[in-house]
Amino acid sequence: MKLQLKLALYNTLTKVAIITLMGIFILVSINRISVNHIHQRLIQKKNKLVTHLSSTAINDLLTQQKTFTDYNLLKEEYIILKEVKNNHKEKLKQYFSRETREIEGSQEEYEILSAEFEYRGKRYLLELGETMSTVGQLENTISVFTFFILLAAVILTLLTDLAFSKFLLAPFYQIIDQKLNKVNDPISFNYEPVKTTTEDFRILDQSISSLMNKITDLFLTEKEFIANVSHELLTPISILNTRLENVLNDEKLSVEGENKIFACLKTLNRLKSIINSLLLISKVENNQYKKPDAIVLKEMIHEVYDELEYRLAMMDLTFTINLSEDYVFNGNRSLFHTLLMNIVNNAIKYNLPSGNVHIYDTVKDGKYALVIEDTGQGMAVNQVSHAFHRFEKFQSEKEDSYGLGLSIVKSIAIFHELDLEIESEIGKGTRVILIF
Amino acid sequence: MNILIVEDEKTLALEMARFLGKEGYTIEHAWKKSSAAEKIFVNTYDFILLDLGLPDGDGFELLHQFKQLKDREDAVIILTARGDVEDRVKGLESGADDYLPKPFSLTELLARMHAIIRRKHKLEMNEVNIHHFILDIKNHKLSFEGQKINLTGKEFEIFNYLVLNKNRVISRINLTEHVWGDILEINSDSNFVDVHVKNLRKKLSAHAPIDWFETVRSIGYRINSSL
Repeated sequence: MKLQLKLALYNTLTKVAIITLMGIFILVSINRISVNHIHQRLIQKKNKLVTHLSSTAINDLLTQQKTFTDYNLLKEEYIILKEVKNNHKEKLKQYFSRETREIEGSQEEYEILSAEFEYRGKRYLLELGETMSTVGQLENTISVFTFFILLAAVILTLLTDLAFSKFLLAPFYQIIDQKLNKVNDPISFNYEPVKTTTEDFRILDQSISSLMNKITDLFLTEKEFIANVSHELLTPISILNTRLENVLNDEKLSVEGENKIFACLKTLNRLKSIINSLLLISKVENNQYKKPDAIVLKEMIHEVYDELEYRLAMMDLTFTINLSEDYVFNGNRSLFHTLLMNIVNNAIKYNLPSGNVHIYDTVKDGKYALVIEDTGQGMAVNQVSHAFHRFEKFQSEKEDSYGLGLSIVKSIAIFHELDLEIESEIGKGTRVILIF
Repeated sequence: MNILIVEDEKTLALEMARFLGKEGYTIEHAWKKSSAAEKIFVNTYDFILLDLGLPDGDGFELLHQFKQLKDREDAVIILTARGDVEDRVKGLESGADDYLPKPFSLTELLARMHAIIRRKHKLEMNEVNIHHFILDIKNHKLSFEGQKINLTGKEFEIFNYLVLNKNRVISRINLTEHVWGDILEINSDSNFVDVHVKNLRKKLSAHAPIDWFETVRSIGYRINSSL
């Protein structure tokens, strides 16, 4: 989950929790406050009533019946007055209760004050009731109101939080994008700091820049080392090579001497090949090549075929190319040529006489794939896993293999962002799959 | 023909001079960029063999200065240990005639020089006679007593290279590198050049005996012009 979303969600959830708690608290207190209010009012009314009572009034009230009942028009309040037995020992009672009363056929809940008082030696019970429905209505209104406020607050906070965190995190994503994702080559790294007022991001930016500085240094050192190696090793080889060639021109040289010198030249050539192969791998792995060419796979395979045709004829191999698609991709033509050349060359070199080399395309895991299949000696499972290691040689009877061919293939494949798979079975052949 | 070798590695320059001297070229040396510049401004050469990594500067700068001069036909071959494709392209774009990565073989250098001579001077000696086989280098054709012999491109290249370096043993590796270029690991397995030679021989011997086309066991081939 993105930090932006996490922050927004966290903020929203805490706000929802706080507002909900507040809402519940308000509802509870409103209930309490209203009930208290009613109680106070009832007590005030009772006191007023009791102070203003006179015997005539009571007599008037109680003339017709033993109990006097009255309620106002909307049945919001009622009053009951009746005479009770006067027992002087008992204290005068006064209490609140909540009861449902039926008045003229409709039931309502009332908060009731029951109060006893004495008047001229007689004891009376006064009941004052006030309906609770108004309180309920008030509570309902407030809870609906609270809910909407809550909802609006949540949405508003979520939106503002998202917007703000987006604004806040923009430099972070800019750093990730510019300083990490888009960097292929440390030399062309952009050291200009990303604009931000957040100290943390500034630290991140600076750390990446200083890390990149170190990497660039290492990269340049390695590049320099490669250049030095190529110069310092290849120049002496050049000298030896030319000197041996000149010795060969000496007419007094015996046949034996000639043979020995050619053997030296062969070894020298081997040294040169190894150095050049290692240099190639290093340069490819250091991204010192560009990918300027649109490579038409079909054309290139035919080119490779033309160059290797004679080797095929020599081993009496059949070569079939079955490509269903005209696949074109961006890459480095000469590097990719080397890659194909090495794979196909291996397929020829380690084939059996009158065997077959089959190149075809297919779709693997939804991606275009090129398969180079031979009917050769094949490799065991543990050999396949080591096949890409440098200087790894299995078919050691081939004395002219240095074990670098597949390392070159691997590094060029990685450079072109291709997946490389080898399936092989001893005695049956090998299948090299390039997945684009 | 005179050649200026611009190379700070003296041993290498001397070996090149020895080989090319035997071929009849007049050789001059320059060990540094500054002395090479002096020589280039004063004299004209048929060939300037230019190393890129010079102690007092880059060979490219020298090439650039040279290209500012007017009416100069000197062919420039860059010889360098910097074998990068980019360097190669840069060299040819700056006006070099060829680019040979170190280590190179002297016979290959000679072949490149001959190719440049043919291209630049449109020499009449475009036809070479070897035991009555006439090699038309310009048109890539071979004939025997007026009869045309059909060779593939590779077969012609091999024959041409052997004839050019006649009386010298040319190893399979050398031949492979000349015909197929530097393709790393693949060159290690140079026996496949034999197939081409076998076919070439078959085509030649259909016209006349070719004892002069010698196989030097376990090494390579030689064309003997004196037999």
